[in-house]
Amino acid sequence: MTGTFYVQSLDLACGALVLAAVLVLWRRDLRAIVRLFAAQGVALAALVAVLGVHAHDAGLVAVAAGVGVLRGLLLPLLLRRAMRAGGAGRETEPLVNVAASLVVAALLALLAYAVTRPVVALEPSPATHAAPVAVTVVLIGFFVLVTRRRALAQVVGFLLVDNGITALAFLTTSGVPLAVELGVSLDVLLAVLVLRVLTTRMHTAFGGTDLDDLRELRD
Amino acid sequence: MSGASALASGGSALVSGGSVTGVAFAVAMGAGLAGAVAGTWLPRRVRPLGAGVGTAVSGAAGAVAGVAAVAGHPWSAWLPDVLPLAGARLTVDALGGLFIAVTGVVGVCAGVYGIAYCRPHRSHALDGRAVQAVTPLFLAAMLLVPAAASVSTFLLAWELMAVGSLVLVLAEHRHRASVREAGLWYAVMTQLGFVVLLGGLAGFAAAAHGESFARLREAGGALSPGVRAAVFAAVFAGCASKAGVVPLHVWLPRAHPEAPAHVSALMSAAMVNLGVYGIVRVGFDLLGGGPAWWWLMVLAAGAGSALYGILQATVATDLKRLLAYSTCENMGLVLIGVGAAGLLGHAGARTLAALAMTAALLHLVNHSAFKTVLFLAAGSVVRAAGTGDLDALGGLRSRMPVTTVLFGLGALGASALPLGNGFVSEWLLLQGLVKALGSGGTAVAVTMPVAVAVVALTAGLAVATFVKAFGVGFLARARSVKAERAEESPPAMLAGTALAAAACVVLALGPVAVLPGIAGAVRVMLPGPDAVTGPVTLRLHGVASTLSPLWIAVALVVVLAVLRMTVTRRARRRARLWDCGMGPLSPRMEYTATSFAEPLQRVFDNVLAPETDLRVTPLEESSYLVESVTYRARLGDRIEHRLYRPVIAAAGWFGDVARGLGNGSVHRYLGYGFCAFTGVLIVLAVTR
Repeated sequence: MTGTFYVQSLDLACGALVLAAVLVLWRRDLRAIVRLFAAQGVALAALVAVLGVHAHDAGLVAVAAGVGVLRGLLLPLLLRRAMRAGGAGRETEPLVNVAASLVVAALLALLAYAVTRPVVALEPSPATHAAPVAVTVVLIGFFVLVTRRRALAQVVGFLLVDNGITALAFLTTSGVPLAVELGVSLDVLLAVLVLRVLTTRMHTAFGGTDLDDLRELRD
Repeated sequence: MSGASALASGGSALVSGGSVTGVAFAVAMGAGLAGAVAGTWLPRRVRPLGAGVGTAVSGAAGAVAGVAAVAGHPWSAWLPDVLPLAGARLTVDALGGLFIAVTGVVGVCAGVYGIAYCRPHRSHALDGRAVQAVTPLFLAAMLLVPAAASVSTFLLAWELMAVGSLVLVLAEHRHRASVREAGLWYAVMTQLGFVVLLGGLAGFAAAAHGESFARLREAGGALSPGVRAAVFAAVFAGCASKAGVVPLHVWLPRAHPEAPAHVSALMSAAMVNLGVYGIVRVGFDLLGGGPAWWWLMVLAAGAGSALYGILQATVATDLKRLLAYSTCENMGLVLIGVGAAGLLGHAGARTLAALAMTAALLHLVNHSAFKTVLFLAAGSVVRAAGTGDLDALGGLRSRMPVTTVLFGLGALGASALPLGNGFVSEWLLLQGLVKALGSGGTAVAVTMPVAVAVVALTAGLAVATFVKAFGVGFLARARSVKAERAEESPPAMLAGTALAAAACVVLALGPVAVLPGIAGAVRVMLPGPDAVTGPVTLRLHGVASTLSPLWIAVALVVVLAVLRMTVTRRARRRARLWDCGMGPLSPRMEYTATSFAEPLQRVFDNVLAPETDLRVTPLEESSYLVESVTYRARLGDRIEHRLYRPVIAAAGWFGDVARGLGNGSVHRYLGYGFCAFTGVLIVLAVTR
């Protein structure tokens, strides 16, 4: 893979990654959100694959395939099932409206670039230059987690954070070992399964999955 | 050495020194663990027996180890596999040995006593698993504290001791709500003390680049004065809270009355000592002494504690509460001696410093002896009469004769009168302070007379206190039905108490026997050839006066015998007591504890600030005719009221406000996390 093509494909994958995250903020239809999340999973897999091909590392390419299957197919499938069990397919009014959310996303991207400067300066390379994108995805995911009301949207927020962390791990290190990636992926899978069960239970118990209805359970 | 290597569980343990000490110490630890196992697994019927025997054996072996170490067979061990990362370092030297020996003897008495005390009796039953298993562990932890020779081992043993005692204080939490409150107070005070101690010792270890006591000892003298002062202040505060020194004493008068009697004895006669141990170990041994203000601080704390403790004890009406305050007083006296020793050592008067330290340690030993007797006997009384309220007791002399005699012996010791063991050490302490007048600088010249006055006043008030406790509690006629029906305790309880009383008698008549041991401990703290050994003969300036407790006893016995033979030769005649023609005297007419202490309460009105409430209700028809008069008097702990209530109120307010932060909304919690995260990132981005 030649230098320019590598950089351009890397940038394309990163762009898709962050675009998917921002679009999650924009859309209110839960089905669309899950689709966006699947697209992001594919982008992440592409990113890892590009890195693997560039480094001539077959193991990394295999990891990319695994990431793609898990985040592009399996997790969206699970989320879709939870949605079907959970009823209403639209996000209610989020705590921060869409326009403000997009502005905040821009600010978060700014913050991510400011914060990762030392990391980039440590060893400037096309991969590390893309690290701020991964941090942006983490921050946006966290923001989704904070502002969205539906349990399913929150799960997607959590998964965005995880996608961002995974991307950061691949961009700043010279390849994550298969065992580590496998462990992380299994953790995520397990978390999603648990959250899915929880969402279904919430729906059967309270008739809705708006988390703000749950505050009476506190003491 | 077999026991010691068994402890190391096959690791490469390094053991050196006296084999007797090591084996005995290992046996003590093993017996403690065996007692805990017995307390957990044995059936309820024999559980107190198993745990009690384990405790007693552990105590006896500990006492042997301590005595062997004091007699010149120090022992040390390095067990790398016992604790992760740091390993356990143990050293039983003369100073630690003294404390181990005292703790061990108290443990024997408490263990024997507990065998019978924990059996079910009326509503009172302590044969549950938790209490039975933790008692031997608590003793083992207390034996471990003076043996620890590294910061991590010391802190671990300290925390084990604190947690163990907390579990035991809470033994009867199902029966009385006051137990829970006492437990809470104790938990907070002991954990705060631990945090401070942890900070101090961790700072010390960091500054000394090593955590073994040998390394600290090496580096202690060369640290910067600021670090040394901070370490000492932290250790002093942490240990003072354990020793029950005013104003950190508030847990003591709450926890002791609520804990089971043998636990009270262990806590009050052994655990508080370890507070003093921490102070002298770090202050003298590891830091190698310090500037005058350290010791003035110790002395002032001791004087305040002695005075306040005995004043509260004078007016206390609950027997165990009275004893708890008396512990504050005696720890105060010990700290006066420690402070004076440090001050004199700093001023260069080494012999006098050694004398003051000897007096302090002797008083510590004496206090342990008589406080064990008193708490165990008080436990017997509470168990038999169902109450420890002196105003409701009385007349126990005929119902519980043995307990009465034993309590009397303990009270004699506590009141610092000749023939009691407390007298010897307080006398020595007074002599040390009086003699110190001429040596040292201005600080010494100003402090010593005040300290002498404090000790003297304390001794006087102690007499009043224990005359009250003994006279009102045991003599005269019973003031309540419960006290009238009291029955003598079972033999094991009497044996445990009698053992401690025997120690009191030995200490009272032959204090010279223990002095060589104490001198060895003093030599660890104040190295030099001038520690006091052999028979103690004190010469005041000018007047040479020699005092031998044994000869006083002999003389007193002879005088009493002669008096009895000559004066009371006439035959006894029974007659009714003169009652002014009012009819037979009733128990309601007797002096109660409250009325006995009333004059003293009046004198110290400003300090004690009692709350009295007199309400006179007149008849409806005429305001001159009284229908009823109610009088209510309440004596609280003023320091607690003034110092702790505002802090507790502030903490409660903070808690209420903080509750508002968590309203149950998941989004809000996530928002906190998000804001904190981005906040940190922004700070990073701006500052880097």
